[in-house]
Amino acid sequence: MKELFTMLTDPRFHLLYGVTQRFSMGPEPRQVRLNRESMTLSEGIKKKTRVYPFMKLGTHPSPLKGDLYSPIFGVVSEINERSLFLEAVEPDEELRALADGVHKADVMELARDCGAGAEGRKRLAQLLKELGLNTKSLGQECETLIINGLNPDPGITWAEPMLMTHRATLSAGLALLRQLTPARKIVLAVPKEMRLQFHDLEVASVPSQYPASVNELVVKAVTGKERPDGVGIVGLHNLWSLGRVVETGLPLVETVLTVGSLRHSGNYIVKDGCMVGELLDFAGIELREGDALVRGGPLRGESLDKLSRSVTRGAMGVFVVEAGTVPPMQGHAPCINCGACVLICPAHLSPNLLSRYAEFALHERARKEHVQSCLECGLCGYVCIARRPVLQYIRLAKHKLAEADQQKLTPLEPVGVTPGNEPASKEDSHA
Amino acid sequence: MPDARNAVLLAMSAPPYWHCGRTVQRQSLWIAAALAPAVLCALWNWGLPALRVMALSVAVCVAVEALCQKAMGREIAVDDGTAAVSGLLLAFMLPAAAPWWLVCLGAVVAICLGKMAFGGLGANPVNTSLVGWAVLFVSFPLLMDANAMQLDTEFVDPLLRLKFFGAAAAEEIPFTDLLLGHQINGLGAGQAGALLLGGSFLAARGFVRWHIALGFFLGVAGLATAFALADPAANASPFFHLATGSVLLGGFFLITDPANAPSRPLPMFLYGLVGGALVMLIRKYGVYADGTPFAILLANLLAPQLDLLRPKPFGGR
Repeated sequence: MKELFTMLTDPRFHLLYGVTQRFSMGPEPRQVRLNRESMTLSEGIKKKTRVYPFMKLGTHPSPLKGDLYSPIFGVVSEINERSLFLEAVEPDEELRALADGVHKADVMELARDCGAGAEGRKRLAQLLKELGLNTKSLGQECETLIINGLNPDPGITWAEPMLMTHRATLSAGLALLRQLTPARKIVLAVPKEMRLQFHDLEVASVPSQYPASVNELVVKAVTGKERPDGVGIVGLHNLWSLGRVVETGLPLVETVLTVGSLRHSGNYIVKDGCMVGELLDFAGIELREGDALVRGGPLRGESLDKLSRSVTRGAMGVFVVEAGTVPPMQGHAPCINCGACVLICPAHLSPNLLSRYAEFALHERARKEHVQSCLECGLCGYVCIARRPVLQYIRLAKHKLAEADQQKLTPLEPVGVTPGNEPASKEDSHA
Repeated sequence: MPDARNAVLLAMSAPPYWHCGRTVQRQSLWIAAALAPAVLCALWNWGLPALRVMALSVAVCVAVEALCQKAMGREIAVDDGTAAVSGLLLAFMLPAAAPWWLVCLGAVVAICLGKMAFGGLGANPVNTSLVGWAVLFVSFPLLMDANAMQLDTEFVDPLLRLKFFGAAAAEEIPFTDLLLGHQINGLGAGQAGALLLGGSFLAARGFVRWHIALGFFLGVAGLATAFALADPAANASPFFHLATGSVLLGGFFLITDPANAPSRPLPMFLYGLVGGALVMLIRKYGVYADGTPFAILLANLLAPQLDLLRPKPFGGR
């Protein structure tokens, strides 16, 4: 009954697409652009260095961020502050020998060797980091861990094939996750229409209409509470990456993503750093003037300015939004108080007010209107008939508030105040 | 990568990249489409004079809005169609025999005072068309009285009949006549059947909030039923009240203007309910035969208070 009165008449918002085909392998990239921000490059990595698959290129200083490995046979063509560019080459004997010499680890055995307890988990996180995995959000600090088994954004279709067809990979990932997390209970949240059973995993049914896939809402659907303590959530995508590392025994140099346009949609296992242009060529999607190119989901992703941007580990999708299929966004359009965003907001906020506060830089008022409770699902912008960039305004307000808080974090301590004369000064101020 | 591929100029935008496809302009077009049956009925019942009033009102509203935007140094945005819709709604509440200057004055007041003075679309605290109507109704009661203006007709004014001849006389008018618009009323407000058709369509498609319309009609029908049960001889049936005056026009097209309405489901319902109840109170105890426009203006003023009824934000304690 509730669905009858929803404003989201677009069938794509129902996050079940009936897609179960195995993932296809993506293109063999001719050029690769890797993200090396704040990485320390390995010794000998400079321009014209020849690299082979799974060769270590850089180390991230954070213990929670994965290290960088080469996905292809290639030669370093350029290095700058943010990126490391590789050009594919035909490997010679020497390079081939080096690649054949890459050691395949038995990750599960190594994980068991790490031992139990907090120390063991720390060692395991370090091991996974060295295998190129980000372990930042894998539920290290929680009692209940929920696996978000829904397609994160409308249009993204890899969740169903992962759950149905690639279940072996998921199980491998789950075994590793059990080692990594202190959670006593792990629950897999899947759309209620999917009748899934796992012999070793509790399954919870959750609604399947976007925004049900937003992490906070999945937690609420499973536990019945809004932002409860001690509950962690991890994406299916991360679980698949863990499983992939266990299965191959090699560092992670790829990601699963949906490539979609109005007519085309497919799931590919794509090499880290593959350029978007090559990916679209591979998927047979042609771009026209004025199309928008989106990395991530169509509701929460980021728009790209050129085809030489790349997809990195953790990217969930690449979408083309054809010119003319949506009314263009009007950055300067005033809010007309139509109330559609208020009606649809899953966090019970008033995005109409929030966006106007951000527009006129009244960020403290946005804080009073609970801007921090925003789940950033993007629906406010989806229904806005004035085509205002509502989500962007909210993100701006959050960013400005975070900046303001950062400055407040270092309060000035009065010098030379001793406990003895403190009450006296207080009395002074009251007098 | 070939350079030709890089030459494609991509549109940069902000999330979300998908959109429901509704814009202000398309919304106005849909509302105009929903009003079309009533326009046709008005032409059928009142002939060319009705067309004259509607065309004049729409044209003046659009022209005045364009002039105002020019004077305010704004981008001309009359192509969003909202001024045209306001003009049409204003015309619907005027008698078909209204003199040309009355229509022009109403349209100018509606747009200048009811919309642009507050900053344009969506910033007005009360309904644009009703501001124009209220100024005319208070200033020129005789010219705004459809019963006095429409002498050359077979139709009767059902609400005046109810007020001065009693419920029995009012109930003599066949219900089908009311639905077909065979009643003296504003030229479009009386086309009850056509408005019901168009309004239901808008509510079903989500262009107007069904919570408000439902609340409004429940308010009218509920109180009318209560009165009728208390004293059947003195009070007309709820169906009579729903099909007369501007109730259908108001419930579907005027009170639902989202700029003046609360935004959440429960406040919207209460807002409609209050508006509907006020209609009946004015009709029963007030001096005016049809209380709808004033009831809606009062409900508009209540909207900010009702908007304070709101759920806790997500995760708020």
